[in-house]
Amino acid sequence: MKNNSPVVILIGQPNCGKSTLFNAIAGYKAETSNFPGTTVKHTHSVVNIQGRLLNVIDLPGTYSLNPSDPAEKVVLTHLFQERPDLIINVVDASTLGRSLELTLELRELEYPMVVALNMIDLAEKKGITIDFPKLENILGVKVIPTIAAYGRGIKELLEAAFHCLDEGCPVSSPRWSKDVEEEVERLADKLPPDFFVVANRRFTAIKLVEASQQFCCEVLAEIDPLLKKNVDLAKANIEKKRSSAAYEVIAAERHHLALKISEQSSRVQRRGPLSWDKRLDSILMHPVLGYPILAGIFLAFFFIIFRIGNPLEGVLLRPFDNLKSTLPGLLGSGLLYHLVDGLILGIAGGIGIVLPYLFPLLFLMAFLEDLGYLARAGFLLDTFMHRLGLHGKSVSPFILGFGCNVPAIISTRTLESQRDRIITSLLIPFIPCSARTTIILALIAFYLGPLWALGFYVFNILLVAVIGRVLTIFFRTPSPGLILEIPTLKLPSLTNMLKKTCLQLKSFLRFAWPILIGGSVVLSLFQFFHLDKFFNSLLSPLVVQGLGLPRELGMTLIFGFLRKELSLIMMLQALGVNYQDVLTVISRQQVVVFTAFVSFFIPCLSTFAVLWKEMGKKVAFLSAGLSTAVALLVSFLIRLFG
Amino acid sequence: MMSLYQSPRSRKLRIVSILGGEEMRRRLFALGFHQDDVIEVDSQAILKGPLLVKNLTSDMSVAIGRGIAQKILVEVMPDEK
Repeated sequence: MKNNSPVVILIGQPNCGKSTLFNAIAGYKAETSNFPGTTVKHTHSVVNIQGRLLNVIDLPGTYSLNPSDPAEKVVLTHLFQERPDLIINVVDASTLGRSLELTLELRELEYPMVVALNMIDLAEKKGITIDFPKLENILGVKVIPTIAAYGRGIKELLEAAFHCLDEGCPVSSPRWSKDVEEEVERLADKLPPDFFVVANRRFTAIKLVEASQQFCCEVLAEIDPLLKKNVDLAKANIEKKRSSAAYEVIAAERHHLALKISEQSSRVQRRGPLSWDKRLDSILMHPVLGYPILAGIFLAFFFIIFRIGNPLEGVLLRPFDNLKSTLPGLLGSGLLYHLVDGLILGIAGGIGIVLPYLFPLLFLMAFLEDLGYLARAGFLLDTFMHRLGLHGKSVSPFILGFGCNVPAIISTRTLESQRDRIITSLLIPFIPCSARTTIILALIAFYLGPLWALGFYVFNILLVAVIGRVLTIFFRTPSPGLILEIPTLKLPSLTNMLKKTCLQLKSFLRFAWPILIGGSVVLSLFQFFHLDKFFNSLLSPLVVQGLGLPRELGMTLIFGFLRKELSLIMMLQALGVNYQDVLTVISRQQVVVFTAFVSFFIPCLSTFAVLWKEMGKKVAFLSAGLSTAVALLVSFLIRLFG
Repeated sequence: MMSLYQSPRSRKLRIVSILGGEEMRRRLFALGFHQDDVIEVDSQAILKGPLLVKNLTSDMSVAIGRGIAQKILVEVMPDEK
């Protein structure tokens, strides 16, 4: 961080509405960085509130400070290396008991902290009444009730945050049962004076007792045998007193204390009839009905996008087509004409072809995400994922992949095992993301009919299954079983879904669209100087003999590496026809081959980059090789049987 | 006492003990599943799929795969009323 403004970190358990809160705070923003694929670790925003700058950091959700997956490790790195000036602990008020476990653990840090008690409306609906002053009193931490989705309580939260930053707000660690407390305190006293202390001595001692064997103690034995002996002694004493493992005793201490605080500060009135979400849930998660519903949602998803996108596309493209037909009269046929022609094609392609499909797709994805359906799909599909050697937790990254592969690959961080991460990351690039859905809808659905496009989709998913099955042959270690939280169903708020969609659309317009425009201008220039002929003849053995496509399409395939949609736009340009007239120059079969090859052939640049960053060079190149092989194979097969 | 996997649906169950490796136990603890918690099996996915388990003590629902459900020992609690 370059500026000297205070660092405020948002921490909370998954699904506590933390990111919604972050967006509500950043709504006041002056500048924000939110590039998908570049800021993969966290979202960071410099917020200007009443003339004061704050560095606000949104970290991935974590259940505890003992990380079990890579996403949770990010949280620790931030807490310990960039010591924050203030922690805002976001707590889901509707599941107070278990959410407070993290709050207690954060209190052990004794960093300045404010609790945002979020989703109090949901808690009230569940019949939970919370006594805020009492909770504040017991915790010794300022508690602000909020409803982030409607921006309620944000002002008070920020005021409390400023108060904490200006006046300070001491936080003291909770104390446990005497028998455990003794051991922890004794160990804290015995830490060598030069020992690397995180936060405070007691916290460090707790973490030493809690840490897994290889994490702390094998290393520790090398560096400081005496301390290792003390840690082992403390553990052994706790284990003797309670006859269970030390980490379990400490987890249980927090669990019971959290439950006690929750009981003291809240009252639950059981509601009689089932609420809407319970009733809906019993159908969505029904062992039999759940599956037709899942299939129905998928079909609806597909048809809604097509039904909205298709007519919109026609309307948006018409003015550009008209403009284009007047060009030769105005500009002749020189360099200027080619430049303007390429420019218009790029602009029209972004607005007229990509946007009509991208917008409904992003919106529906936001709906499924906010509703909490992804975890439910994970529950239903777990058995089938086992056939691929994975389990239900991989379902959520796969579904996210239908939006964009980049965040999907980042979200594999929630998988505990490295093996599952590698397999899932290798499979995600085969999931048809929004760019490829656009191509499938704009080419196959438009020229062959929506049922053909649906067939292509189904084939695509089967292909993912087959590749997964093959990959697991090489990764034999069994996958750890499924433990996946099923969050409460939430009625998504329209403003939130629109905000999310707009943010992603903005990033499309800012980063992808210029590439599309640039790409088609470059192709225009190539055409003017007849350079395209040179590259196309280089590629013609593959394109003409191998795939059976016109040689003009050679370059367009290569450019698909930058952005998949670029292939689509350049294809029209290279063939020199209007969108409606493509079938006059190529056959339906060639349309399918082209779509298949573009869809499966190497992941796009951003996906490749994020694979490299997240999983390493080897996985990135493996993925590129694998998808090229699959693209060639599938294209040959279509040609053979088509 | 029986494993969670064999336990009856929609009955209150008490977690007697959690067997299995440290890694798995830690993950369960982090999700608020501890000994003595009262839980309930709401549903199961087809083809020996995961169980949908509701933890009544900490009020959250978790999908638990078959392998792990077999390592959680529970006892049926006597009916209230």
